[in-house]
Amino acid sequence: MKLADALDLSNRLNEHPTGATRVWLICGFTPLHLSTFFKAHAHLRLAEQSVEVITGRFGDLAGNIERAIEQPVGETAVVLEWTDFDPRLGLRGVGGWSVRALPDIEFEVKKRLAQFGSALDRLSQKSLIALSGPTLPLPPLAYTSAAQETAFELRLRAMTESFLAEAAQNRSIRILSQAALDVESPVGQRLDVGLELAAGFPYTLRHADAVADLLVQLLFPPQPKKGLITDLDDTLWHGLVGEDGVESVTWDLQHHAQHHGVYQQFLAALAERGILIGIASKNDPALAMQALERLDILIPPSALCPIELNWEPKSASVERILRAWNIGARDVVFVDDSPMERSEVQAAFPEITCFAFPGAASIWGLLLQLRGLFGKPEILAEDWLRASSIRANVRFQQEYSHPSSRDFLSNVCGTISIDFSKNPKDRRALELVNKTTQFNLNGRRYTEGEWLTHLSSKNSFLATLSYEDKFGSLGKIAVATGSCDGDVIRVRTWVMSCRAFSRRIEHHMLESLFTHFDASKIECEYKSTGRNGPFREFFEGFLDSVPASGILYLMKSDFAIKRPSLPHKTKEVTGGSGCRPSSEMLL
Amino acid sequence: MDQDVARLQKCFSKIFPDLSAEQIVNASVGTVRAWDSLASVTLLTLVSEEFNFTMDMDRFEEFTSFESLLKHIRATAPHA
Repeated sequence: MKLADALDLSNRLNEHPTGATRVWLICGFTPLHLSTFFKAHAHLRLAEQSVEVITGRFGDLAGNIERAIEQPVGETAVVLEWTDFDPRLGLRGVGGWSVRALPDIEFEVKKRLAQFGSALDRLSQKSLIALSGPTLPLPPLAYTSAAQETAFELRLRAMTESFLAEAAQNRSIRILSQAALDVESPVGQRLDVGLELAAGFPYTLRHADAVADLLVQLLFPPQPKKGLITDLDDTLWHGLVGEDGVESVTWDLQHHAQHHGVYQQFLAALAERGILIGIASKNDPALAMQALERLDILIPPSALCPIELNWEPKSASVERILRAWNIGARDVVFVDDSPMERSEVQAAFPEITCFAFPGAASIWGLLLQLRGLFGKPEILAEDWLRASSIRANVRFQQEYSHPSSRDFLSNVCGTISIDFSKNPKDRRALELVNKTTQFNLNGRRYTEGEWLTHLSSKNSFLATLSYEDKFGSLGKIAVATGSCDGDVIRVRTWVMSCRAFSRRIEHHMLESLFTHFDASKIECEYKSTGRNGPFREFFEGFLDSVPASGILYLMKSDFAIKRPSLPHKTKEVTGGSGCRPSSEMLL
Repeated sequence: MDQDVARLQKCFSKIFPDLSAEQIVNASVGTVRAWDSLASVTLLTLVSEEFNFTMDMDRFEEFTSFESLLKHIRATAPHA
């Protein structure tokens, strides 16, 4: 982005300052263009929402962190540079670069790192942090030639790396990737000496733009894709199984097909952390299955579901896979070596993301792109469960739809666990809220900061529901949150994973809310989003008419009359009222 | 209108969005309250970006008006 474009965006934002998302940008130098780029990128990321960037004082990084602790907002970006550890590591201080000074500089860096670590730890209790370690080169203070590292420089870098590794273990701190920064901003083109000396701003425009963009990505990450559908021949393996034979398709170095093996390995890792992997292949089903079951394959068939092997158009297979997964095409990536197949699938599903399976030299690029689309800040317990839960759901739906399955639900041995504690460390609840579209009260999304602010308000409640039955556990699959006032519950957000449909879990949620809060009335802030038909249909059962956007009311007495039988056992997994949470549950 | 004037006006309008076109061509440190040292630095950076040449940031205090900056651009910028 050019500075002129960033300024244009900032000026547009300034015309509408009300209701802005406030974000701290903490650094020890004059934030100048970094602040402008940061605001512009945040504006684009938050879909034109206004953003107010709060900055601190020049040369006082530690003090700025303390100010952010005193006046916390939901999201904070912290940018460290060498001069924040010791002014002698920059150009605006002239404290001496004598060899004798180096041990003292090292001592100062160590001391400052400990101080920043402690402060960031406290800040992380109140705000999500995007943290950038030093991005600028060390000044030429060492006694060796430029080609030779000194132990001094290596120790400084080791100390900061160790500091960042420690911080990365904190779930509320996300570390800016130096590798990603290297791609956008080459190391030799980052420092603007003239601007540093004239104005105390050390970054070139390109570097400021790259750092700002990555910080915003860390604080406001896009929703990751949920599933990948892959072809087999000349994609998952080299060769055509129908022509070459089961034992002749390859994915190893010996047969110059290692990039197919690397791709299999990558997909296996995706599947392990809950990404759905499906197969769509025009193939002889028996032969293709034999190849998939070969002992040397790097992704086990158990990680693949569904497997569509037929001679129909690829789009028909993709359609069945999407239906089994119960997700939209926009959440899915399709990989195939054939331009014709990609074109046919893209035409049928314009929102799907298609990639060509490349030659060996370009496999790295494909994997980097897939990492970008599927990457998420952390792996949650539900991620490990998701793939097996999807397979269980396919079995569930098959049995449930069978006409002989009368009163099927009462025989699935379902157990619902509902947790009313407001635990801000539980990222699953927010993840579910921000990615669920179908059974969704109103489509409302939250930044992490807005979520923490909501949970910390006195009258707010949070109900997180988990489910398991004889087919397996679905994990946490429903969330309702809002506020309670006396015996009236106001539901601001209510979502349920599509994996949990057809089990009357939504009825159990209402029952639990009425019971837990001893409420007489529930008010729901409903809004039609165009995609939340399942929620509309559910509530229609209580109103006997199609609900319109606005507040929907449900009296406990009406619910008792109109609800179907509730087939599952329900238990509260932690005690305490959502209205009066214990202090350790709050921020 | 002179292309250089129009391009420099565009730079000024991004830093001082409240100024009219006429106010911009008559702008100086003395007449525009928001024109402080940081605005000067941002202005010179924008001018560098727009006219594709490097401004010497050490000299930012010399450019105290639209007119003085335009004169410098015409004397220095490659395609001005």
